[in-house]
Amino acid sequence: MQDSAWGWLIITYLFLAGAGSGAFIAAVACDLLAPDWSKTLARAGSLVSGPLVVIGTLCLVLDLEAGFWQPWRQIYMVNNLRSMISWGFIILSIFIPIALVYAAALNEITFVGKLAQKYITIIEIIGSIFAVATATYTGVLIAVVNGVPFWNTPLMPVLFLASAISTGLAAAMIVAAIIDVNTIKTLSNFALGHVIFLSVEALVLMLFVFMSLTRSTEAAASAGMLISGMLSPYFWGLVVILGLVVPFILSVFEFLEYGQMPKSLVVGADILVLIGGMSIRALIVFSGTPPQII
Amino acid sequence: MPRYGIAIDSTKCVGCHSCRVACQNQNSLESNETFNWIKHRDRGRYPSYYKEFIPLQCNHCENAPCQRVCPTGATYTSKEGVVLVNPKTCVGCKYCMEACPYKMRIIDHRRGIVEKCRLCIELVRDGGTPACVTTCPTQVRIFGDLDDPKSAVSIFIAKTGAQPLRPDLGTIPKIFYKRS
Ligand code: SF4
Ligand code: SF4
Repeated sequence: MQDSAWGWLIITYLFLAGAGSGAFIAAVACDLLAPDWSKTLARAGSLVSGPLVVIGTLCLVLDLEAGFWQPWRQIYMVNNLRSMISWGFIILSIFIPIALVYAAALNEITFVGKLAQKYITIIEIIGSIFAVATATYTGVLIAVVNGVPFWNTPLMPVLFLASAISTGLAAAMIVAAIIDVNTIKTLSNFALGHVIFLSVEALVLMLFVFMSLTRSTEAAASAGMLISGMLSPYFWGLVVILGLVVPFILSVFEFLEYGQMPKSLVVGADILVLIGGMSIRALIVFSGTPPQII
Repeated sequence: MPRYGIAIDSTKCVGCHSCRVACQNQNSLESNETFNWIKHRDRGRYPSYYKEFIPLQCNHCENAPCQRVCPTGATYTSKEGVVLVNPKTCVGCKYCMEACPYKMRIIDHRRGIVEKCRLCIELVRDGGTPACVTTCPTQVRIFGDLDDPKSAVSIFIAKTGAQPLRPDLGTIPKIFYKRS
């Protein structure tokens, strides 16, 4: 009998697809809602979105076996519309080109970018739909797995979407700080975004983990591993404290002090959000326990 | 068309692993690969304590989660109700391994595809019986057509009230167990 068939490559994929689609959503939100001072963040978000999802998808392909050595087999991967992998294949093939074209448009890269600028609104609307689809489907992908009762909850895609938005915003903020060092002051405006989305994520995570304690024996065993079992140091340390609480507090100060916070702390908070996002996915995968069958 | 299944009388299993070895030979598996497992469990208490051996293999579920999640359609159900993997289209994504609640699938890294118990379908189509069934020295397994009320397997299930493992999981398995 086989233990978990998926490992770090799939975890990395789940994380990068989430962060990439979240960065797209962050970029669109800045471009549409905020005045000129947020252009850097919109540019940064669009720049990192596509590449993150592409690297994530490469991890997914690397995890294939026959489909990796004989890539032509991958055309079969859209054969079964009851399979979330088939849907993922379709969603990613649409989202990745849109994200790359959007980056070209906002950053005026080549003639493609100039051309795309004319259709920017339509790219933003369709792109956002597929960004949400990408982030959500990664949660559905594992939520429908019968082999792991812990994952079988509609809260899973909600958690993945919330985490995608906070990690996406974090990735966009880090890149914004890199491409424009003076932008740090304006980034304080987005600290509020972190405060909101980290709260939502924490709430959904709490519901998911604690409600699992009564869902089924197996789900309770998995949740127990996270709360007080073997994986609890990682869960409380990496996910809750470093990934949620510390960046939450830093973001509150960042917002209140408005631009006075040292750059290292601003970027530090974002890096912690990314670490938390990766850790929560790893822990969800590794805490999965199959039904007791005998 | 027959609808094949197996009834397993675990009270007769002595844990000798003959079925596993026969299966490995039948399917040219390496020594560390297998399509069937013998798990054991402590039952009863002193003075009637005993160890129960439970042979496990793919249940050829009628409502198979492995088939539902397979993106390529490589996992399919044959006309005889046997759940099979097409080695030509499987990409090795391992989604089916995660989805199987019984964890009855393995990945063959040499061929890059997922494999599992095939109920020795080639042998069966030629009128034979799966290797694990014929080889068992205590005749734990009874193979046959579940739709034929006069088959040995149907009679055994009717007589003993044998049940699938964890029927509450809803996959409708075709391997039945008499466990006491
Ligand atoms: S036991 Fe597992 S591999 Fe076999 S048919 Fe059922 S779900 Fe599929
Ligand atoms: S590993 Fe093969 S059989 Fe299993 S889900 Fe993927 S393509 Fe289907």
